[in-house]
Amino acid sequence: MSAVIRPDAPVLLEIRDLHASVENQPILKGVNLTIRAGEIHAVMGRNGSGKSTLSKVLAGHPAYTVTGGSVLYRGENLLDLDPEQRSRIGLFLGFQYPVEIPGVSNLEFLRVATNARRKERGDEELDTFAFEDVVRERLSVVQMDPAFLDRSVNEGFSGGEKKRNEILQMALLEPVVAILDETDSGLDIDALRIVAGGVNQLSSPDNSTLLITHYQRLLDLITPDAVHVMAAGRILRSGGKDLALELERSGYEWVDAELARLDGEAAPQPAAPQPLEVA
Amino acid sequence: MSSTATVGDLVSQTYKYGFVTDIATDKIAKGLSEEVVRLISSMKQEPAFLLDFRLRAYRQWLQMEEPDWATLGYPPIDYQEIIYYAAPKQQEKKTSLDEVDPKLLETFEKLGIPLSEQKRLSNVAVDAVFDSVSIATTFREQLAEHGVIFCSISEAVKDHPDLVERYLGTVVPTNDNYFAALNSAVFSDGSFVYIPKGVECPMELSTYFRINSGDTGQFERTLIIAEEASTVSYLEGCTAPMFDTNQLHAAVVELVALDDASIKYSTVQNWYAGDENGVGGIYNFVTKRGQCRGDRSRISWTQVETGSAITWKYPSCVLQGADSVGEFYSVALTNNRQQADTGTKMVHVGPRTRSTIVSKGISAGHSANSYRGLVQIGPKAVGARNYSQCDSMLIGDQAAANTYPYIRCQQPQASIEHEASTCRISEDQLFYLQSRGIGFEEAVSMMVSGFCRDVFNQLPMEFAAEADKLLALKLEGSVG
Amino acid sequence: MLAAPAVTAAAAGSGAPALAWLAELAGAPLPTRREEDWRFTDLAALAAIPAGFASPAAGQPVDPWSGLNLPAGVTRLTGPAAEAQLGTALAASGCDQHWPVRLNGGACPALLVLKVEGDAGSLELPLPVSAAEGVVAWRLLLVLEPGARLELLQVPAPAPGQRQLLSLVSEVVLGAGARLQLGCLAQGHTHAALLHHLAVRQASGSELQATLVSSGWGLARHEPRVVQEQGAARTRLLGLQRVDGRQLADTHSFVRFDGPDGELDQLHKAVADGSGRSVFNGAVQVPRLAQRTNAAQLSRTLLLSDRARIDTKPQLEIVADDVKCAHGATVSQLQSEELFYLRSRGIDAATAAGLLQRAFCHEVLRELPAAAHRHDPLTALLGAA
Repeated sequence: MSAVIRPDAPVLLEIRDLHASVENQPILKGVNLTIRAGEIHAVMGRNGSGKSTLSKVLAGHPAYTVTGGSVLYRGENLLDLDPEQRSRIGLFLGFQYPVEIPGVSNLEFLRVATNARRKERGDEELDTFAFEDVVRERLSVVQMDPAFLDRSVNEGFSGGEKKRNEILQMALLEPVVAILDETDSGLDIDALRIVAGGVNQLSSPDNSTLLITHYQRLLDLITPDAVHVMAAGRILRSGGKDLALELERSGYEWVDAELARLDGEAAPQPAAPQPLEVA
Repeated sequence: MSSTATVGDLVSQTYKYGFVTDIATDKIAKGLSEEVVRLISSMKQEPAFLLDFRLRAYRQWLQMEEPDWATLGYPPIDYQEIIYYAAPKQQEKKTSLDEVDPKLLETFEKLGIPLSEQKRLSNVAVDAVFDSVSIATTFREQLAEHGVIFCSISEAVKDHPDLVERYLGTVVPTNDNYFAALNSAVFSDGSFVYIPKGVECPMELSTYFRINSGDTGQFERTLIIAEEASTVSYLEGCTAPMFDTNQLHAAVVELVALDDASIKYSTVQNWYAGDENGVGGIYNFVTKRGQCRGDRSRISWTQVETGSAITWKYPSCVLQGADSVGEFYSVALTNNRQQADTGTKMVHVGPRTRSTIVSKGISAGHSANSYRGLVQIGPKAVGARNYSQCDSMLIGDQAAANTYPYIRCQQPQASIEHEASTCRISEDQLFYLQSRGIGFEEAVSMMVSGFCRDVFNQLPMEFAAEADKLLALKLEGSVG
Repeated sequence: MLAAPAVTAAAAGSGAPALAWLAELAGAPLPTRREEDWRFTDLAALAAIPAGFASPAAGQPVDPWSGLNLPAGVTRLTGPAAEAQLGTALAASGCDQHWPVRLNGGACPALLVLKVEGDAGSLELPLPVSAAEGVVAWRLLLVLEPGARLELLQVPAPAPGQRQLLSLVSEVVLGAGARLQLGCLAQGHTHAALLHHLAVRQASGSELQATLVSSGWGLARHEPRVVQEQGAARTRLLGLQRVDGRQLADTHSFVRFDGPDGELDQLHKAVADGSGRSVFNGAVQVPRLAQRTNAAQLSRTLLLSDRARIDTKPQLEIVADDVKCAHGATVSQLQSEELFYLRSRGIDAATAAGLLQRAFCHEVLRELPAAAHRHDPLTALLGAA
């Protein structure tokens, strides 16, 4: 169903018929998506379409239960892994609402996280001094004031500062697949430019990005290779970057018609598949 | 999480200091009587004033009742089943460490307290107390050059009887409470510190307490006197082997700060806490009190309480001198079946006295952790101020956190502010850290240490990292 | 349920020592200061109250509320229907054996049981006293059916200048979704004492707002005790007590959550002047089954004289891990910057202090049921300052 953009590039993430629920409420109802190296994908959709659930499930949030389907990350079963292991092997989730953690120093947090990733890659872990050099250099990616390093993780940060802190983490962790959940929400245009600029700087032919967003405005700054429209827990339509522009013009009304048509066609689903423990 | 973890399982690491040193000990027969009190005093060749002090305390103790107001549950203690004096067989305290039984040195080295010249910490003087006696004190000569006296209290009784007689029992009277009276009657050893006028003690002073015998009570007595305009920082650490019986530890600590003097007293308490079913462990019933006698004096208590089956202690400050300052910073972590009832008393007597209380309680497993504090502002404490903050963190739904902050105020020109909160480690915070590659246990310990940071910041540098590690260790396996 | 009067009016007037007589009425000796709950409140002060009854019928079971005009939706129950639910809130909140409750039971209280259905509007309950000296007791039970609403105001007041002990025990049973706004505006004088227990059982979805105010009594003690029996209810407790002279005011509150998702919002204020003593003890219990409880307690005291004293003791006992419990306490005098600001605008110090005190008290008084306004609570509390 997904558009194939770089047929020769290795597949980094392959989502097949993914079903997931929260508190026994099914949210994802058969998501299929393939992402190859070098690609930028955008998933769009209205509130409640399941976009954010998809990102949380991929990152392994314990509140979500996978009830069917599979996710392969570079050929490996992602769903078997703890959230920390997913991060260490290169999956990154930029949170829509980064949580505040009072008392835990941002700098220390970034260092421990970075070293966990480095260790997994077989790189030498950085001591406090070496890490400070690295982090100061990466701050420029998001034009962040070094003073934020001395504060507690996200505590008292503005919305824009929190999102920049997310992209800073991405710059440090050098993920293979980065999922950015509504990274544009709550940002003014300057902050949005900085964040988008950071994402663009970090993308390369070897990694890929999955943008989850409501609006075209982020896609004006980060050009996607593929756009997917999500509704009622699955991907309804996929296309190129023009699809996003079309949505911007004509809205989501056609989605309802499409959903109604699908519901008419599809025979009622058999009983939900056996629940699969998230690892 | 693969472990479908609840934070509840992270707290059960086996106790690393639970070994017993095989060494010959001199013990007296168990039980307590006036004869025993006299025997202890005579074994220690004490002057008459001290024997009188002990006997007075013993007679007062006989008249007193064991307190039961704290929300603690433990079977009655049979005071006749306790041995009140135990000492490693070694006649005299050695002038050189080379003469100390190598087994003892090895014990302290295993505990992370190297005493030998080559290995000892360069800027910390250590008094090592094994069961009832002090076996070695390092850096004595260097300290003496500054006029600082740092020795065991038994030595102080011999070498500086006038100082001991002048100050002993003046902060914590013999009849202050049940356990203080017991301690006053039978105390065996402990540390003595005297900082002369105008001297800033050139290094950290530290006492390391080790209970080794299984049936011995430990009753140490510490007395610290800071003369005018002097400064000292003191740290105590404690461990004990694992026994399946409970041992009583009833210490008394007295601090005296004269005009412009400052005493910083830090404790890292890791007595054996009993096993996960609550069998064994130390009963830590301690009276600690500091008196800011002088104007502008300052006494600061910092405690990290992680061990003991039961902890019952309220390091307190009596703020007599005008403009004197009392501080209390505490982290108390309980797990399994541990019980802690701890807090502080800040008694404001003099004008413009100030106090700060920061207490962080962490309860995991089936433990109960209570903060009990008193802020009392007397009628003469014009312009006194107190700020208290006591926060609790609950790990798992079987643990209890209680908060009892008493306030008594008789002075209108005073200000008291008290804040308290209860929180837990939220799933979202854990997930955020995990999604950045930080393992579950590390994420929990990062958050616990973040929670405690205000207190750790008060510890001497060398020990802050230690305390952090200790907490992580105690939590290991409790979340999983 | 209620004990017959243990002592006849005649015996009462016989000049027996008052404390012994009170103990006999209660069927239990007076609590002493050795008991934690009475550590700062010495009931020996009650010795000044002469033995005898000050109810209009002097100890005889005559109904002071026979002519009471009840709003639509409120019915008075009598006989077995009335007695069936008596005592359940006292037992549920663990105070049925408290001494003031026992005293109330022994003092031949006037009894009123009201059933409330639908939106019943507001009611002011008169608490009549005679001009005689001695004890007067009332017992009230309010049963709010599911979804019912009521505003209730009580204004206990002693006869002017008379040595009286007013004993008020109110029980409230709130059905699911019921809402009660209760106010007790207790304005006394130095010869009189008030002992007030308010025991409440709350079903889920119910809301209780209780505002308990006292000033001027020689001794006044409010004991609001609330149990959220299934959790998921809202409790707002507001208190204001003012002491001057050698008066003592004490509030001992207790709230327990027996189910998840309960809320408590408590504000207790005290103003201590003269040689007055103010005591506050606020217990909050959050057992394991009360997950997601959200409780906040704040105690604020203004200490205006160097002979006055205050004792406060919040008491939080928490066993559930997913809860938010915060409490705070402040003790201070009037803020000097605020005073200075007013004075710099030409207001003299005493007026400025009065204004600030009024502001301090207003935060609680405005929460009384609207019917309280005709009693002009601010003036009653602070005089014309």
